[in-house]
Amino acid sequence: MREVAIVGVGLHKFGRFPEKNIEELGRVAILNALDDAGASPGVIQAAFTGHVLQGTGAGLRVVNEVIQTGLLIDVTEKACASSSTALRHACWAIQLGLFDVALVVGFEKMQRGLLGAVTDPSAVTYDQLAGIRIMPGVYALQAMKYMHQYGARPEHFAHVSVKSHRNATMNPYAQYQKALTLEEVLNSRMIADPITLYQCSPTTDGASAAVVCAREKAHHFRGKPIIIAGYASGTPPYTPAGGGDLAEGMVESIARQAFKMAGLGPEDIDVTQVHDAFTPGEVFSIEALDYCPRGEGACFIWEGKADINGEKPVNTDGGLVSRGHPIGATGLAQIAEIVWQLRGEAGPRQVPRDPRAGLCHNVGLGGCNITILKK
Amino acid sequence: MTIEKTEKKRIPLKEGLFDIEKGRLTGSKCPQCGQYFFPKRHVCLNCFHRDLEDVDLSTRGKIDTYTISRMVLPGSVMKEAPYGIALVLLPEGAIVQTVLTDCDVESISIGMEVELVIRKVEEDEEGNEVMAYFFRPVKGGSS
Repeated sequence: MREVAIVGVGLHKFGRFPEKNIEELGRVAILNALDDAGASPGVIQAAFTGHVLQGTGAGLRVVNEVIQTGLLIDVTEKACASSSTALRHACWAIQLGLFDVALVVGFEKMQRGLLGAVTDPSAVTYDQLAGIRIMPGVYALQAMKYMHQYGARPEHFAHVSVKSHRNATMNPYAQYQKALTLEEVLNSRMIADPITLYQCSPTTDGASAAVVCAREKAHHFRGKPIIIAGYASGTPPYTPAGGGDLAEGMVESIARQAFKMAGLGPEDIDVTQVHDAFTPGEVFSIEALDYCPRGEGACFIWEGKADINGEKPVNTDGGLVSRGHPIGATGLAQIAEIVWQLRGEAGPRQVPRDPRAGLCHNVGLGGCNITILKK
Repeated sequence: MTIEKTEKKRIPLKEGLFDIEKGRLTGSKCPQCGQYFFPKRHVCLNCFHRDLEDVDLSTRGKIDTYTISRMVLPGSVMKEAPYGIALVLLPEGAIVQTVLTDCDVESISIGMEVELVIRKVEEDEEGNEVMAYFFRPVKGGSS
């Protein structure tokens, strides 16, 4: 199977842009990715887009802002994992030999407030009507059980946000570029115990893009290609009476598949982006990725081991909590950060020791995509 | 388990989850492998058998984990926070997500024994009493 390389990445800054439409957000990200690759729009043979809430034809409208050559334009919706899914579809198509060069785009404009608020009466579930399903709820339920099982404390989760915000101060694309103290995070409004407001990813507008190609074509583009070494995806398996550990088993299994495809192991990963829609997500995912034993993730991060200068840097760009989480754009923003880190172009947030391989973990409504990149 | 007596017609907040007259949650049991599910479903996730049987589920269980919601979800019947949300493990092995009622949120704990209560949450335009299910701590139960 031929390898796929990423030869360009670009973002539109993440934040709140009520005056901009998705076409503008997407156009900026696409042009940044094309310029990064040194690619003319005309070389793109197919576009794979991901968004969630932008309506019919949004993928076409965004890509047509820059390219209207009659190319294939596909759209994927997989909630918060939409654009990492679009990237995988591009990999499949290139590996099948259908195309040599493709564009991947993720974009989203979001309303403020809680995701999952009741809007369409015909689609409403009992969980929503009864007040059971609040968005931090699943993370909060797992975090409460984790604290009960392993003796972790609320400040362990709060510290994840302190680290994320510190990293985001060095990321010009981040929604929040202001450092927070542990006290500020802990004392912000409680949303669902133990998760306070500053431990929740915000609603965000933004866009992300990447130019990908068959590895043997990468020399046509500027700069050093980053190889998509492994990827795998799946959804939570049914486990009898396992409702308290909604993600248990899924990430471990998908990571194993992705590592196998890449011929790498957890010890080989020098920089990582994980899906921290809420801070406990970072703790659970680094354990599932086997960076540390189960039950030790909270202390691992507390002790600084996931800091930019730590042994296993995680969410160097600020993660979802601080970089922002425009749901359709998040997956490719993680990819962009790993590309910059592996190229040594991450500026003040660059991880030391010449990173060779990086990993992205992106979760959407229960499903998970893991993508491993290498130089 | 109690049903609070009312005069008017009582309708569920959403059909298919519980039986107001019996005061029981309705789940499914797989006749082939014996697995229980809530809410009910058609195909067994354990052995893929079809035609699962409707069953009344146990009215008592234990809190597997919980959180305390400090805010309300717009459009939901819970108009005031804080309130507890729990995953309740029933003896059959089914898990029920529920709002906890009749308790101080600070007293909730993992492993606490809880029981089902089905009660009115609001009235609709026709004056029907809209019923929802909750769990609450068992008096004198282990906590």
